[in-house]
Amino acid sequence: MIEIKNLSKSYLGKRALENVDLRLPRGEIVGLFGENGAGKTTLMKCILGLLPFDGEILLDGSPVSRRNIASLSFATSEHSFFPNLTPLAHKEFCKEHFPKFSEKRFKGLMDFFELPLKKPLRSFSTGQKNQFEVIMALCQGADYILMDEPFAGNDLFNREDFYKVLLGILEPNETVLLSTHLIEEVSGFIGRAVLIRKGKIIGDVSMMDLEESGRDLVGYIKETYHYRADRVSRALNELTDTEE
Amino acid sequence: MKHKIERYAPPGINIHLEIRYYFTGLLCAFLYSMLFLIRYSNSLSKLYGWVGNNRVILPDAVMDDFYLILDSCLLGFVIIAVAVLFLIVYHYMYHYQGSKSIYLMKRLPNSRELHFRCITLPLTGAVISMLLAVILLFAYYGIYIACTPKECLTPGQWQKLWSVLL
Repeated sequence: MIEIKNLSKSYLGKRALENVDLRLPRGEIVGLFGENGAGKTTLMKCILGLLPFDGEILLDGSPVSRRNIASLSFATSEHSFFPNLTPLAHKEFCKEHFPKFSEKRFKGLMDFFELPLKKPLRSFSTGQKNQFEVIMALCQGADYILMDEPFAGNDLFNREDFYKVLLGILEPNETVLLSTHLIEEVSGFIGRAVLIRKGKIIGDVSMMDLEESGRDLVGYIKETYHYRADRVSRALNELTDTEE
Repeated sequence: MKHKIERYAPPGINIHLEIRYYFTGLLCAFLYSMLFLIRYSNSLSKLYGWVGNNRVILPDAVMDDFYLILDSCLLGFVIIAVAVLFLIVYHYMYHYQGSKSIYLMKRLPNSRELHFRCITLPLTGAVISMLLAVILLFAYYGIYIACTPKECLTPGQWQKLWSVLL
């Protein structure tokens, strides 16, 4: 389980995360939602130990360190692979460093997405790069897979295929924390939704509870975010009103 | 992959090009250092004059000091050593080019891997360069002492060199 206790993070005095408390048990697929700049990426980077922070993050009861960091993998839209390497060379590099790297999963996913094995990653399209990024995160052998906007740049069909494959291949003890703006698309795929706004967790709901209450994810998010439905029409009225 | 030179460099970087530039630099530094031999032979020939057909040492002839002849002949090696140290910065920056592979490197269970790959080769290059400079310094000093007529040598050459260097 990932336990986040009283996590705070500031950038040059500006609060990016404020007293965040969150628990991510094994085997859950969690959606992390929030507007741009809400703190989603910062939260993930803190979990991964890429950023210093105040508070405590425990990974299966221990602070994140080099001893247990292999339990965490990361797929980001910024991409974390080496663009000059081929997928094959990248696989060799990861196999060398992550003992639980799954060659079988790698081969299966590379075949599924029909990605070339011997072309440098820099020559891939953005969609292919995203696919490879996610493939590497899934093959590392991590128990907790953090994905930050992994599908930005992929077409709808591609994304849907990916959700299906992901659901099919994930082991019961694998946890996914998925940050995305594609709320409707992932609503059928996640088991829990966490909402973050201005660095604070403002909502945390299981999809089952949501279903039982007869609400959908988009509605829940709008409600929790106090989304004003008349916002657009009011703005348009103001913009199109003739000056008196 | 383990025993290849790539193992000691950031993954995917064109290390062979860097090595090629490095050895070209070393060759240039070596050729430049050979200026010492030209200067030395000029200084040496000033010690001699001709009496008829005989080449003799001129009375009161004194050989130029070693450090004066050496001058900046070994500077090329120092420049290369400093330049390759800048490669360390480039190797770290490489992990931000085209992607953020720094995230992967920082997530590796082996915390030293990033530094190992960024530092090892430039540091080795700098050490080799400085070592060559020292070897050549001794070699040129040996030539200076061995080939200069004893009566033309002034004492304390080595001390003079160090007093200039330090």
